[in-house]
Parts: sequence; C-alpha cells; structure tokens
Amino acid sequence: MDVFNQLLQGFVTAATPVNLLWCLVGCALGTAIGVLPGIGPAVAVAMLLPITAKVEATASMIFFAGIYYGAMYGGSTTSILLNTPGETASMVTAMEGNRMAKSGRAGAALATSAVGSFVAGTIATVLVTLFAPIVAELAVKLGPPEYFMLMLLAFTTVSAVLGKSTLRGLTALFIGLAAGLVGMDQISGQARYTGGVPELLDGIEIVLVAVGLFAVAEAMYAVLYEGRVVEDQNRMSKVYMTKKDWRRSWPAWLRGTAIGVPFGCIPAGGTEIPTFLSYATEKKMARDDVKAEFGTAGAIEGVAGPEAANNATVTTAMIPLLTLGIPTSNTTAILLGAFQNYGIQPGPQLFTTSSGLVWALIASLYIGNAMLLVLNLPMVGLWVKLLKIPKPYLYAGILIFATVGVYGMRQSAFDLFLLYGVGVLGVVMRRFDFPTAPVVVGMILGPLAEAQLRNAMSIGEGSAIVFIQRPVSLVLILVVLAVLLLPRLARYWSARSQLAWKQ
Amino acid sequence: MIKQPPSLFQTLIGIGVALVGLGLALGAIGISSTAGYGGVGPNFLPWLIAVALLLCGGFIVWESRSGGFRSMDVPTGAPMAYWPGFVWVSAGLLANAALITSIGFIFSCTLCFVLAVQGLRGAAGRADRRPVAWLKDVLIGMAIAAPVYWTFTQFLAINLPGITSTGWL
Repeated sequence: MDVFNQLLQGFVTAATPVNLLWCLVGCALGTAIGVLPGIGPAVAVAMLLPITAKVEATASMIFFAGIYYGAMYGGSTTSILLNTPGETASMVTAMEGNRMAKSGRAGAALATSAVGSFVAGTIATVLVTLFAPIVAELAVKLGPPEYFMLMLLAFTTVSAVLGKSTLRGLTALFIGLAAGLVGMDQISGQARYTGGVPELLDGIEIVLVAVGLFAVAEAMYAVLYEGRVVEDQNRMSKVYMTKKDWRRSWPAWLRGTAIGVPFGCIPAGGTEIPTFLSYATEKKMARDDVKAEFGTAGAIEGVAGPEAANNATVTTAMIPLLTLGIPTSNTTAILLGAFQNYGIQPGPQLFTTSSGLVWALIASLYIGNAMLLVLNLPMVGLWVKLLKIPKPYLYAGILIFATVGVYGMRQSAFDLFLLYGVGVLGVVMRRFDFPTAPVVVGMILGPLAEAQLRNAMSIGEGSAIVFIQRPVSLVLILVVLAVLLLPRLARYWSARSQLAWKQ
Repeated sequence: MIKQPPSLFQTLIGIGVALVGLGLALGAIGISSTAGYGGVGPNFLPWLIAVALLLCGGFIVWESRSGGFRSMDVPTGAPMAYWPGFVWVSAGLLANAALITSIGFIFSCTLCFVLAVQGLRGAAGRADRRPVAWLKDVLIGMAIAAPVYWTFTQFLAINLPGITSTGWL
C-alpha cells in the first residue's frame, strides 16, 4: 500500500504541466534520435547534460528518461525501414523487420514493434515499481565489500562476457578505468595524472568521453569509411496489424518481456543477449509454416519478441541503477552522471533521501510509455521524414550539438581539443572492434569502485580476507568466477566432445 | 570474417595500449602510497591498471602477430579510409576548439559545420566547392548553431561564449 501511495505521489509530481512537457519533449527527442542513424540515447543524454546546471533534478531526470525510452522506440523504425540498427538493441529487430518491410509489411512490423515496446515497457515498469523498493531495502544491508564485488561483477560482465573478445573488452575497461583516475583522488584529495593542467584537476568529464566516443567518432567514421554507403530505404505501408498479426504478436510480446526482465535486473547489462535469446526462442517455438517465414518473408514474431525483450531489459535496468547505483549500459552510466551532477548518488538510500524524485521518475515511465505509443503509431510517418536529412548535414550538425554538450559542462576550450582526441580513439575502437560500453562504465564506476575497495579494506583492517568473510561478498566472488569461467569451460568441453566424436 | 585490417595496425594498437600502461606506471611512481588504516593507498589502482594495460597491450601485440585479432567482426564501410575528408572534419573540430572563445559559439560552430560538410560531401563523392554551395552551408550551419546557442544561453542560462555579452550573438 505504501508503494501505491508513493507511486500516486509520484504521478502527482510527474503530471504537473511542466514535467509533462519535459516528458513529452524527451520522448519526442528520443524518438527522433533513435530514428536518426549515428546517434543513440547515451550520446543524446550526454550532450544535454549541461542542462543539469539549471533545470531542476526531477524535471531533467524525467526528460532524460524520456530520451532513453524514446530512442528505443525510434531505433526500431530505422532498423525496419533501413536495416541499419542505430544500436545493438535493434540489431535483431533489423533481421526480421527489414525482411517484413521488403515484403511490403513495414507497417505491421512497425506496429508490432511499437505496441510490443509499450506492453513490455509497461509490464517492466510495474515490476520496477514493485521490486525496486524491496531491492533498495535489501541493498541497505550491503557494505563496501559487497558493493565493490557488485561493481566487479558489472565490470566483468560488461567487458569480459558480453563482448566478442575478452581481451579487447578488458582493454576497453582498463582504458575507461585509467580515464577515471585522472583528477583528485576521492579519499586523499591527491591529484593524479593531471600533468599540471588545471582543467584536469576535476577529472575528465563523462560527457566528453561519451560524446567523443559516440558522436564525434561516428562523424569521423562516416567520413573515413562510410561516405559511399548507399542506404536503400524500404517503402512504408499503413501502420496496421491484422487480427492474425495480433494473434501471433501477443504471445511473443509476453515471452520477450519474460526474457528481457531478468537481464535488466542483474548487473550484467546489455540488450544483446535477451534480444537474441528472444529471437532464438521465437524461431524455435514457431510452427513449420511460420518457421519458413523466418529469414525469408520475415516473421512478425521475430520482431515482436526481441522488441519486447529489448524494452523490458532497458526498463528494468533502472533497478540496479536506482537501488545499487550500478549502471549496466552506456545510457544508464550517463544517467548516473546526471544524478551525480545534482550531488545525488543513486543507491539504496535514494528511496529515502530523494523519494520524491525517484517516484516521479518511475511515474514518468508509465506516462512516457503511453506518450511514446501515440508518438510512434499515428505519427511514425513524421519520424520517417527525418531519414531524408542528407548525411553530411546530419553528421556536421551532430558536431555542433557535441560542442554545446562538452563546452556547456565546464566552459573549457581545452575540453574541445580533448574531445577531438577521444573521437579519434573512438574511430580506432570501432574499426578494430573494441567495445565502447566498458570504457564509459569503467570511467564512471571506477572511482566509486576504488572508494568502496579502500573502505572495504579499512573494514578488514588492511586484510583482503574481508571479501570472503562476508557471505554476500563471497557469493558475489563465486558469481564473478562463474561468469568468467563457465562459458570458457563449456566451450572447452564442447570442443573436446566434438573431437572425441570425430575420432 | 572476410578480410582483417593489416595486422601492422593491430600491432600498433597493442604498442599504444602498452605505452599508455607504461605512462600510467611512470605516473604512479609519483603518487603517494600512504595507505592509512586500509592498507590500500591512492597509488594502488593506478599500479593495477598500469600493469593490466601493459599485459593487455602485450597480448594484443601477440594476437596481431599470430593471425590477427580473434573473433573480430568485419568492419563496416569501405576497406580503405578517405583521408581528405577526415582532414576537413579534423580542421573543423580543431578550428572550433581554437576559435570558440574568440569568435563566439555561433561563428565557430558554423565554421566547424561548413568544413565538416565539405569533408563528408567529398567522402560521398559529391564534393561541391562552388561559392553558392559554401554560402548555403554557412547559412544552414548558422541556422542550426544560432538557435542552439539561444536555447542554451537564453532559456537554460548556460554560459556559452559569444562576441557580445547579450547572449544573442
């Protein structure tokens, strides 16, 4: 009942005209950003972080959440019509959605994707409402050793497990951690790696790294390698689902949601695994006639399931962010940065110290989902027009927004030179298949993890035994080890059994 | 996997990562090791990351010399880079960084926009250096930069450099 009352209070705050407007602008902007190839929600939120200097915390968090969800909705439009997924979350949607569009069923693909996102987003928001306070209550009992281990788990999954190469993932993570070292040490106040540059005493801005890695690098990559790529846009058809489409879609939405929810809740991040898992499930469960549509004419289940899984994961990713202060993706890492700009540290105390903000944010998720359904079903034709913007103007325009985002944070021209350097780094990383999420997560979580490590060691009076003396910490160590070792052992056993079978 | 980029670049990346690690290690020498009660001082993480990056760099070099990066996706886009376009975009970004405080946000960003458009258009094989095309790009650049500037200075009260103190130019 208490949860219900607090949620109602959240609705009262979120439904003020000003906050509704922020939510609407965020959702619309997010959808536009999702539709436009080249920029994702992380960079959009990063570029707009300077507004935290003036806009009130609740309003700006509602705005950023709108961008976050809006981009998820918009991303599927580009995937279906252009077959160029804006980000990993829409990769699976592109597989079947694009085939449906090529067979003249773009409208049905867009509709199932939007309604599926709404269904999954709403169910996941209900789960956030019910479970986030419980997780927060449990999290209060965690101390520095457990927090450090949770962060270690996040580092491990983001870098070593989710990417294709553990080595490249770890390299990206350590580069992020190294960037996080620059500036004053949180505990002793000692300057580290500032090289006598006063601008670096405050550290490197997360906005700068995110905008450089995603926006500037994207423009540089486009000019270097993608200038002559010609995109073939599929024809739009009426955004409408037949009775049969509905019948085929709703079980896929529910299955997708069930798959996506747990992946968002654990500090393992990423939408790749749940979306691919949902796609594989739909394909496996399909009847023979439907199975034949997969990879040929395009099966609606192959769009409905992964889209639902994607949105469910993205929504429940709010649970580790709000209750533990652990971001599990680029965008949640930037959202954590937004909280920090207000001097708010997400974590178990957030539900007591900033309860008004948290519940307004959760309420805005319900409102935003409804807004996005309207923005993405009847108004989809409007967003599609954005795809007509010539690429040179689009990428050059992104550079202007990158400038305002980075310069606006600290009013430092030095940061703009640094931005150029990070952009070049981003190009190299993209060309050589280094993941970027570990850099951002490492940079933002690194200083927090270091502080937790040092506090934990103080509790253990200088002994690392403290990490295995506490049951939760010990379990987390075992989970980290399992996450690291099990996939490798499974691969090894599989290779051995195949070898034995051949012999 | 169709064709990997030349492994020389991969080796250079490995060397670069190792050099970053080395730089961090050199920097860590000057960081205090005062550990206090916890036994872990401000130099612990720098040393840890330095060693990790040295190891990562070493492994990357080894991978590059023994068949190239493992499990690597084929990079999207053209196999060869279009460097003239990159020079235009770089010129735009660096000019923006160098001039933003002296000529103001609107003009500096417009300059960045115009130079970047030149590069991107050249990359698409549609280079257009006629004065009318430049003029059009300048106008479009200003039409984006000016409202962005006004939104941030007037509505959000965020300080961006201008050539006047009015917040309009």
